[in-house]
Amino acid sequence: MKYPRLSRRAFLKGSATGIGITVAPLGSRAFAALFEPRVTAARDQWASPSGAHFRIDAISKVSGAKVFARDIRARDMPGWPQQQSHAMLLKATRADRPYQGFDLSLLDDGLQPDRIVTSADLEQDGVGFPESHGPDPLLPEGKTPLFLGHPVAILIWHDFARYRAAKNALQFRDDLIRYGARTGEVERPPYGSFRYVRVGGDTPYDPDVFSSLKDSDLFPTIKNRRPVWPDDPSLNGDIGEQGVYHARRMQDTLDDPPDNWEVFQARYTTPYIEPAALEPDNGNGWLDPDTGTLNFVVATQCPFESAHETARMLEGSRFDVRHLNVHPGYTVGYGSKDHNIFVYYAVIAALYGDGHPVRLANDRFEQFQSGIKRHPFDMDYRLAVDRDSLKFQIFRAHMDVNGGGRANYSASVAAVGATAAQSVYYLPRSDLATTAYPSRAVEAGSMRGYGTLQTMAATEMMVDELAERLDVDPIELRRANVLEAGMKNTQGAIPGGAIRVGEMLDKAERHPLWKERTERRDKRQAEDPDHLYGTGFAISHKDFGTGAEAPMASVEIDAEGRIRLRQIAIDMGTGTATSQAMNVVDFLGRPADDIKTGETDWPELALETSGNPYTMQQAEQDRLSRNPRWTPRLASPSSASNSAYYSSHATREAARLVFRHGLWPAALSIWGQGIYGGQANPYVVRLEDARWVEGHLTARGMTPIPLAKLAAKAHEMGLVTAASVHAFNRWSWASAEFPLGDEAPRLPLDAVAVKYGDDDYHLLDRRNVRYPDVQLNNAHVTYYSPVATLVDLRVNKGSGEVDILEHYSWVECGKPIVPELVKGQLEGGIAMGIGHALLEEMPLYEDGPGNGSWNFNRYQVPLARHCAVWNQGSEILPPLSDTDPAKGMGEVVMIPIVGAIVNALAHATGQRFRDLPVTPERIKEALHG
Amino acid sequence: MAELSTRPLRLTINGQAVGPVEVPDDLMMIDFLHEYQGLTGSRLGCGQGICRACVVILDHDDGTSEEMRICITGAHFFNGKRIRTIEGHAERGDDGDIVALNPIQRKFVDHFAFQCSYCAPGFVNAATVLVERLEREPVARADLEATIDRALGHHICRCTGYVRYYQAAKSAIEELGLVKEG
Amino acid sequence: MRRLLIGILLVPGLTTQAADDDSLIERGRYLARTADCAACHTAEGGAPFAGGVPIASPFGTIYGTNITPDPDYGIGEYSADDFYHALTEGETPSGRQLYPAMPYTSYHLMRREDADAIYAFLMSREPIARAAPETDLSFPYNQRWGVAFWNLIYADALEPDASSSQSSAWQRGQYLVEAMGHCGECHTPRSWTGAMDLDRHLEGGSLAGYRAPSLEAEALADRGWNRDDLAHFLKHGMSPQGSVFNEMFPVMHHSTQYLTDEDLSAMATYLLGDTPPEARRIEPRPLEALSDSARRGRQSYLDTCAGCHGGDGQGKPQVAVAMSGNTTLRLEDPTNLLRVMLDGIEARDFPGFARMQEMPGFAAHLSDDELADLGNYLRETWGGRPGDIAPGDVANLREHNAHAAP
Repeated sequence: MKYPRLSRRAFLKGSATGIGITVAPLGSRAFAALFEPRVTAARDQWASPSGAHFRIDAISKVSGAKVFARDIRARDMPGWPQQQSHAMLLKATRADRPYQGFDLSLLDDGLQPDRIVTSADLEQDGVGFPESHGPDPLLPEGKTPLFLGHPVAILIWHDFARYRAAKNALQFRDDLIRYGARTGEVERPPYGSFRYVRVGGDTPYDPDVFSSLKDSDLFPTIKNRRPVWPDDPSLNGDIGEQGVYHARRMQDTLDDPPDNWEVFQARYTTPYIEPAALEPDNGNGWLDPDTGTLNFVVATQCPFESAHETARMLEGSRFDVRHLNVHPGYTVGYGSKDHNIFVYYAVIAALYGDGHPVRLANDRFEQFQSGIKRHPFDMDYRLAVDRDSLKFQIFRAHMDVNGGGRANYSASVAAVGATAAQSVYYLPRSDLATTAYPSRAVEAGSMRGYGTLQTMAATEMMVDELAERLDVDPIELRRANVLEAGMKNTQGAIPGGAIRVGEMLDKAERHPLWKERTERRDKRQAEDPDHLYGTGFAISHKDFGTGAEAPMASVEIDAEGRIRLRQIAIDMGTGTATSQAMNVVDFLGRPADDIKTGETDWPELALETSGNPYTMQQAEQDRLSRNPRWTPRLASPSSASNSAYYSSHATREAARLVFRHGLWPAALSIWGQGIYGGQANPYVVRLEDARWVEGHLTARGMTPIPLAKLAAKAHEMGLVTAASVHAFNRWSWASAEFPLGDEAPRLPLDAVAVKYGDDDYHLLDRRNVRYPDVQLNNAHVTYYSPVATLVDLRVNKGSGEVDILEHYSWVECGKPIVPELVKGQLEGGIAMGIGHALLEEMPLYEDGPGNGSWNFNRYQVPLARHCAVWNQGSEILPPLSDTDPAKGMGEVVMIPIVGAIVNALAHATGQRFRDLPVTPERIKEALHG
Repeated sequence: MAELSTRPLRLTINGQAVGPVEVPDDLMMIDFLHEYQGLTGSRLGCGQGICRACVVILDHDDGTSEEMRICITGAHFFNGKRIRTIEGHAERGDDGDIVALNPIQRKFVDHFAFQCSYCAPGFVNAATVLVERLEREPVARADLEATIDRALGHHICRCTGYVRYYQAAKSAIEELGLVKEG
Repeated sequence: MRRLLIGILLVPGLTTQAADDDSLIERGRYLARTADCAACHTAEGGAPFAGGVPIASPFGTIYGTNITPDPDYGIGEYSADDFYHALTEGETPSGRQLYPAMPYTSYHLMRREDADAIYAFLMSREPIARAAPETDLSFPYNQRWGVAFWNLIYADALEPDASSSQSSAWQRGQYLVEAMGHCGECHTPRSWTGAMDLDRHLEGGSLAGYRAPSLEAEALADRGWNRDDLAHFLKHGMSPQGSVFNEMFPVMHHSTQYLTDEDLSAMATYLLGDTPPEARRIEPRPLEALSDSARRGRQSYLDTCAGCHGGDGQGKPQVAVAMSGNTTLRLEDPTNLLRVMLDGIEARDFPGFARMQEMPGFAAHLSDDELADLGNYLRETWGGRPGDIAPGDVANLREHNAHAAP
């Protein structure tokens, strides 16, 4: 079968801007070769079919190779001018007075910038800015800064020596910016405000009376920048009013509970956190005046979004940019390089380089000043429990979220935090309300945990304290309320698969750290009058994915059997490149030989998008999906713990197609050679018997065939030798029928292109596509991975300092792809959780990071001595079978440790701490008044 | 006032004589490596001598070695001195490809010690200095973990929780026979 | 002496009439901070007031005692009278004389009700049943009679000049500085017997290898201090003149950071006087005006200091103090400057969100010549001092580790 070739334009018209700007592949072969082949090791070195010996990028990373965008200078880039220009952002550090220009006169004439870019330039030159990052990327004169650190200008120098000297002179100066008379902070409405109300049926398995999934999320009206809910809601009102009616009933019950109920109430607050990704934000771009190509090296978790938004920015500008080459490096972000405005400042710097390559790279002070933060939450929790049955009855959680100066993902973080607050428990009735507010703080956005860290850690503190109040064992209280498989979450959705929380509770209960906790404490305290000792436990399960996941991958096998994998996902240190390369083993018998991560260019899939996958109506989706090129979302960033499950889905589906429609028929052909169907004829050879043994394919006693031979055969026969796939997941996979030979299998994909033999890609026309109903958006979560942690610690009576002595964790993540990577995530997540619980905090405003004076001397990230490096253990629960999916766990790993620490502090001190971090000052205050 | 006056700098980096290069009097060593030498493996983490992502090894004439924080140490401090950077540890073939890692690098690789790896050069250099010290004076078994704690304890890693770095260092020291038993 | 005490009793503000226990305890907590009990009686890493802090003295190490209410190891059996007697006379209920590291010569001026409040506070603390390490001093200082003899000579000799013509803030400051804060214990030179040389009260002492600078008004002003900066320094441990380090750090950490702004201002008022001398400003001296030694030192400054203190000595906020305006550079005696250059300063948490990273020592990296040149560069450029440090001065200090006897 032959399909029409797709022109590049067909792809670009839909995906970019249609103004002559193209999102080209990563430039010439020389460009494409820049990063990855130098970064990744040869396949026979790092892996075998049985597993990864080390990370695919390990050799480069351990020997100082240029793996980060940060490492790249102009002279490293083929074809770029050698001379590197450097830029810095000039920022306002007050947000209560209008900005009225700046004064660089303290610089000698020789150090004056070669180019200064202000909002006037952007306006004059028609340079737009991604709307979602607005307004005022560079603040115009006369306006009050929205937040501390609001950029007002980009300063560019064409040589390093002058740049450095000038920056040294300018940094930390508070007299560069002129301000007018006091206006006060700019007041704005909330970024988002939502409410999720559920009233379950008689049993957890009965239909809900009311829930988000069954009915609707609730939205307030906004008055005076505050959410307002109906005063006197009625069951006869609209769906929103009905929901509020149920919430009001819950509140009445909590205010006047039945006699055998205990109603617990507490307020919890969480700190303002710097992600502290060690690679600070940076970009390096060169606008080639001869070809109109903008070449751009950038650190980002979302290269696809960055490329497309950049293209959109340039639409209608005076800059005649005809091509855009984006080179994302291997990076690190913990979320902070997702949807990050910094990328576009770097683009602007490059545009105004006057033909020179310009590098904009934060130092650490600047990273604190402008990098994306984790949201502080202020949570008011109420939980009612039946004292006799120990069953939770009503959970009411209302929370305010400080989103800082730009919207970023604040509304989404608030929503995700609220819908996670239930943690691992079944709650028959719940009322979760959440509002994200703007403030003059440095913006908060995507950051590991994404709201769930804040809310679930609080839930774990609450449950522990409630157990004490009820005088029951904390694990027993948890067990009595576990959300079992088939029960509904607080949005009324049934989580995917088996739920193994109970298994973890059993393991924790039997662990010596837990069993012997009080005897151990008492004994140590008798021996050591300087310290208090305690042990704590917590458990959480967290969603992975975003409800609009759009993974893309291609798997190609050449005639020599070399496997090449392209992935839209990017490696942020988590090991995505390694694990994705391993993912093809099940289908192709060995890991990929070459991998290209952060691939932004997928012309073969020819996809278009329109509409918002989260908010569209069903009718709109039905109409749009009649276009066989349409998808609800083109691409996802690498975030939300999405690589293990979602990225793997695309890799595995692509590999599966190559196997099923390429290698398998090739094998059958080889086994069938000869008269009467050859060696296969006496046996029944079925697909399900296919097995890879040491890189050879066999089935039902057939002669094992090496991969290279199969590949050559597949190429010779014109079978499928490559598959490029796109999938879409809204808490369930989209699927469609794809014509492949005589079959039209239904696949959990919404776009497939394949290569037959040595040919180019052919796009398969999908049929009968089924996208998950838009109502599933209201599920908010259906995928969970649980983690439980026990921690043992001591508190110094004098200094209030906490030493973590030992900890032990359990994680269930299906079938791990590379167990060492899972353990590494766990260990690192625990360290970050320790920082969140005990060490890390900043003031939000004038004394906070926006003032430009923050660095790691003041912001204490955990050091080895904080983490019980030598005294920790963990267990990955064995999968139920080897068909378990790999599940995302990069975020949940940091959550239980937080609750466990605070619960251990209660065991040690008898005090319940509800404001994080629990600093020595707070402990001293609690211990000594 | 800003400093643009320069002076010649000559030093040995990874066994190679470098210079004389005219560089500003007040240039920090990290900027010299990054912007003048193209050696970017010594990473800028904090720029204030706190996180130690930037450390290089300074070799003394008496055969001892030590870590130096080059984000707060001027380039001219190293005039006439010998340093090793992360780029210099592995053995390379004629084409520049790595043939063999040093024992610490090898262990870090085998233990999946790092994730993003931004801090890895600092850890490699610190652990290498430790190994070189223990080669002169092995450590008693009972002091091994505390010795590693002291040698690596100031280094910041945000990804890993340090566990695999420490275990790998321990394993390397043991396998190199640098532990006195008993 | 009696006249003085009566004068101090009239000082307003520190006392109100007796209230309930809680407020007495709270008052005691505050007064215990003004008296900085914790600096000597709470060991680093130890339970509060359980003792064990090693106190270096010219004669050997003295250990702070356990002053928790434990009956066996602490002061649980003390009556309020016993406590007051020990505090002000240096004698335990059993008649044992305390080592004069316990500043009872200063506390001698403490008012009874303040002692009682501190007593109430201490008795409300958790008893810690553990003996503090035994102090073991060499002859003749391990002889209690020697200490008693010392007391006999000096105990009543501290006579601050309480003039009724001074403001009430000044008088309160006097009480805080002289009695409670016992500042003179370190900032007054000591004779060979270890007793304060009261003729040279607050003229500057010596402690563990460092100089405790003069707190006289003229000397403070000469080093750039004004009242607000001095009060701010005591509260936050930092000011444009520098940050607290060495033995002053625990004073700020345990004591002065907790004092009210009013009390800190009173202390500054007392020290600088009701009519303070004008703080001296020093313009940085240009490179061409420096001595040869200082000019040589400039490159060492750029190589080893400028990364944190700035190429122009401007410092970095929250990271490293400015050299320009720095009080330590202005001291006539360069000991503290050289000591810090040799040994560095350990990382410390400051109040609020401040935390100073460690300053590395350069003993191993810079020669005596280089350190002398560097010191001269610093002192000439920003300290208004001549470049008179000789390599031999550095060599001498190198031989004496910090925290050892001078």
